[in-house]
Amino acid sequence: MDENEELRATELEALEAIYPEIRRPDEAKDRFTFEIDLPVQPAAPVTVTFPAAATGNDVDTGVINPVADADSLQVSHLPALRLRITLPDGYPSDKPPEVHISTDPQWLRRETMASLESDGPRLWEDMGRDMVAYTYIDHVQRAADDVFGAISEQGTLEVDAQHKLAVLDYDIKSKAAAFDRETFDCGICLDPKKGTKCHKMLDCGHIFCLQCLQDFYNDAIQQGSIGTVRCLMPSCAKERSETQAMDAKRPKKLKTSISPSELLQIGLAEDTVKRYVMLKYKTELESDKNTIYCPRQWCNGAARSKKHKKPTGLDYEDASDAESDQDDEQAKSKTYDRAERLAICEDCGLAFCSRCMQTWHGEFVLCAPRRDNGELTEEEKASLEYLQLHTSPCPTCSAPAQKTHGCNHMICSRCETHFCYLCSAWLSPGNPYQHYNEQPGGKFTSCYMRLWELEGGDGDDVGLGFVGGNRVPQQAENHDEAVVEEAPQPIRVPDVDRRDQPARPQLLDENGRPVAVAREAPLVLRLGNDPNNPPRPPPPPPPPQAAVPQAPVAAGRGRGRGAAQGRGGRGRGGRGGGAERGRGRGRPQPAMRVINNGNHAMMHDGLDAAQQAWIRQFVEMALLDEEDMIAEDDLGDDAAFFIR
Amino acid sequence: MSTKRLAKEHAELDANPPEGFTIRLPPSQSLHTWHIIHRPPPESALHPGQFGLVLSLPPDYPFKPPTLKFVTRVYHPNVTDDSLGNVCLGILKSENWKPSTKISAVLDAVRNLMIEPQPDDPLEERIAEEYRRDRPAWEEKAKAYVAKYAMDEPEFPASAS
Repeated sequence: MDENEELRATELEALEAIYPEIRRPDEAKDRFTFEIDLPVQPAAPVTVTFPAAATGNDVDTGVINPVADADSLQVSHLPALRLRITLPDGYPSDKPPEVHISTDPQWLRRETMASLESDGPRLWEDMGRDMVAYTYIDHVQRAADDVFGAISEQGTLEVDAQHKLAVLDYDIKSKAAAFDRETFDCGICLDPKKGTKCHKMLDCGHIFCLQCLQDFYNDAIQQGSIGTVRCLMPSCAKERSETQAMDAKRPKKLKTSISPSELLQIGLAEDTVKRYVMLKYKTELESDKNTIYCPRQWCNGAARSKKHKKPTGLDYEDASDAESDQDDEQAKSKTYDRAERLAICEDCGLAFCSRCMQTWHGEFVLCAPRRDNGELTEEEKASLEYLQLHTSPCPTCSAPAQKTHGCNHMICSRCETHFCYLCSAWLSPGNPYQHYNEQPGGKFTSCYMRLWELEGGDGDDVGLGFVGGNRVPQQAENHDEAVVEEAPQPIRVPDVDRRDQPARPQLLDENGRPVAVAREAPLVLRLGNDPNNPPRPPPPPPPPQAAVPQAPVAAGRGRGRGAAQGRGGRGRGGRGGGAERGRGRGRPQPAMRVINNGNHAMMHDGLDAAQQAWIRQFVEMALLDEEDMIAEDDLGDDAAFFIR
Repeated sequence: MSTKRLAKEHAELDANPPEGFTIRLPPSQSLHTWHIIHRPPPESALHPGQFGLVLSLPPDYPFKPPTLKFVTRVYHPNVTDDSLGNVCLGILKSENWKPSTKISAVLDAVRNLMIEPQPDDPLEERIAEEYRRDRPAWEEKAKAYVAKYAMDEPEFPASAS
């Protein structure tokens, strides 16, 4: 008896040295009962299925409903097993250890636990009734590698559905704890960082330190480049799309953007995340050509749509591509459904007609003609002017682009069209630089050798006052003196085709001087009305591939702006820019002038009778300010030569 | 952070320079301008030239990509055939740049470009066309350029931007 007591004490002491986490719950009453929690970390992550229990509380019998659909998840940490071992009087020589096993929650089946419990006395017997406690604990730990044999033949572990949350929660917490203990090399600052200071990207699992992620994403969201809010590992999306291609089951477009909730996890401020959500929503609206905006100028909200839900707070739903395609088709087929014209602004609630942009007039009322657009505020005028001076429109979606630096090969951030910043021409994505080089057949575009013009960007801070790509300055060089030197004398227009032009009434201002008609026609055509120089007709369509300078720009604009021109070398007047820039940069382009002149000749020789008639009509209407009335269809092919 | 990372990257590349590259920091300048000499390997048509490159690292590197320019003239579809020496490297475009891309990866891209030009994404369409259509002619001209411009130690501009 004494000997046994001594043996028990020695064994317990040794065990406590090996397992410092051993507890003795009620030491005073019973010295030889102790508890130990054994973590259950299977050798490989286990697929856990959660079949719904047939009856609510049938846990112990493990009866499951085989029909119930079960969801499965990979788990690498299962809730710990608690061993409560009592070394009774008479142990080890006469009595086996008493073992009680429990888990919280009770995810392991009773039978499995009972068999584990019975392993204690069995081992004790096998060892010849000796001190078995360490051997037994070790045995249980080893058995944990395959979850005590509870894994089914299909390689899954069944856990009752009511423990699903607890089991998953435990797994997540254990993983997080393991992550926090580790150290990672952040790929951005290249410093080793503790796991607690790092973030593992939810989608791809790449790890960066929180500080770097916060800095980068804050910066990106502040600047509005939300496209870069993605995993920062080089070629991350590429690798994932490759693995996905191998799966081949899901041809879905790869999601590379980061969810707002993940940004919050990374530690971005709520306001920043809200901005991110709003920006994403706006980009989505803007890239959808069907989006209709509220006609109230102080509002400009988007009309409600099923496809794009206005985000509330921090939630953001990606409109899936498949869905939107379907919607587009539906939209097409319903184009003529009158009720479809009703649009309701999601911001101010205004109900309006999506066609005439007036307040809603009912289904059976014809749309009223568009109101005159003469209600712009100073601010709006200023921004329109800025847009005109310092941006180039995308030839596909007309989104204005402002270049900040780099070459003139642009890719529209909205629709990914490749285009030229100088002239808004479409560029072939496969070979965008061809535009700036010699064309096949030895021709040249007006942008020949100009890939790097405006490398420092376009805008007020650049100090160049580039006119934007929708005007080509070279054509205007003939008028440059007039514009730049603020000489309001009659503006010289190249002497072309005068004999074709009938005499026409002049517009005179109150001083009796001829008025230069400066007007934004739908096409980029400006007219100078001068008693001696009838307006020039636009050029005929060029032969395909030919290098044609932009639509002829006559002098209209210069006059009105003359007095305001003297702002340093900035050349604000749209047309002054060309010459100014040429001088400022010390890069005159004699070659281009020659080419342009060459084209002039070609252009005007190439007019056929129908084109001339159309031009005449257009010019006449333009003089009466009515060129808008020309039907779109009439422009048809003729318009093509303005858009290059 | 920028400086710290640059110092780290520089130390790494200094201790273990990638093959064919010599990296120097111009005197009395910050870590934000690097002078790089590249000697393309024998399988490149541009061997045995020595090409000077200036790598400019913006203050907000690595959040913004560095820029790279050739100081030495090179007859290559992807390098402008002028004194500017602009290079179009995909990974340096701002929409492709990832802050965890390291300078060594940029240099690897340069080495690959010198071995294998990308005529489908050219800056000099004429040279690209020649490269595609008449490789020997391109090689001959490229070698002539090497002989003319790239045999001596490249000279770097005193105050490279």
